[in-house]
Amino acid sequence: MSIFVWPNAQIDHSKTGDIIRSLMPSYRPIAVVLPAYNESAAIAQVIFRIPREINGNRVLAIVVDDGSTDGTGDAARAQGAYVVRHLTNLGAGAATITGLRAAQALGADIIVTMDADGQHNPEEIARLVQCLIEGPFDVVIGSRILDPHGMPASRFVANLMLNALTYVVYGKIVSDSQSGFKVFSRTAAEVLDLRSSGYEICSEIVGEIYRKNLCYKSVPIKSIYTDYSQAKGQHFLNGVNLILGLLTRWVRRT
Amino acid sequence: MFVLAAKIFSILFGAIAIAKSYVDFRSRLESVQMFLFWTLTWLSIIIVALFPNLVDLLLSAFGRERAGLGTFFGMAIVFLFFVVYRIYVKIERMEKKLTRTIQELALRDDWTVRK
Repeated sequence: MSIFVWPNAQIDHSKTGDIIRSLMPSYRPIAVVLPAYNESAAIAQVIFRIPREINGNRVLAIVVDDGSTDGTGDAARAQGAYVVRHLTNLGAGAATITGLRAAQALGADIIVTMDADGQHNPEEIARLVQCLIEGPFDVVIGSRILDPHGMPASRFVANLMLNALTYVVYGKIVSDSQSGFKVFSRTAAEVLDLRSSGYEICSEIVGEIYRKNLCYKSVPIKSIYTDYSQAKGQHFLNGVNLILGLLTRWVRRT
Repeated sequence: MFVLAAKIFSILFGAIAIAKSYVDFRSRLESVQMFLFWTLTWLSIIIVALFPNLVDLLLSAFGRERAGLGTFFGMAIVFLFFVVYRIYVKIERMEKKLTRTIQELALRDDWTVRK
């Protein structure tokens, strides 16, 4: 045991486990948080494609079943994911917050958030995690705008407009403010003070990065636009709700 | 004819609101304060609908200042907006509490045990 103790250090035996963990980087897992609402058709495939290990670190999938009625939780559990279930549908933001807390409870050092509808490619997780470690950055944002190939023009324009709105509300511009594919260091996840229940959480995270002066990088990612993911993704009414939510926050801040 | 329709309309809605408030009060869904508040509010509305001249009497009681029906309705609108604002604030607070409660419950479950 002594090899894990710094010379002249006061030994607090209750913290021995923490000391060992801090000296063994591979001990703490990487958590992939998937907020999901009625995604039983896609969730199993998404979890299956998540790498089991990155750089020798275990990867854990955490699905936040946001009050689904189609057996999303059971499908995720069958694939070996941890499932945290909301009794009723609260929204993507609330599910993300619950997922971040669950990942911290599991002792994850790096936390990845991604969509459960298959829009994001799980094979890109390793690249984003690597970028966070090598930076080192507090947050890495997967940006569809930096690699817009295959992105519908309407979505591209809508995202640019939401980037502008995010800048007006939070004073920070990033290339893809609405991306759900992000990687956080444990410290970053701990300092983020998130309150949004709905899709406006993405903009709120951008605001928090700015407010807490976190170090971040946008990295290009490829989005997979299938009929399913387009139908499940943000549609017009969600967009209206998102804009209203952001404007409400802007009014509160001014 | 229109005035009569307006009176019937007001009485009908007032009666429904008071009845609903009473039922909620009896079922312990509403506090006695809220029950009294809504009963008095709707009774006032019914009385004003039945005897609109009361508004003129009320306005003349304000003295020499010029006060017309516009002033009266302006005050009514301000009051209504205040009520709407309070409802908005309370609903938002409740939504936040509900969200927090559901999140806490979710994280208290045995989710760390993979079945």
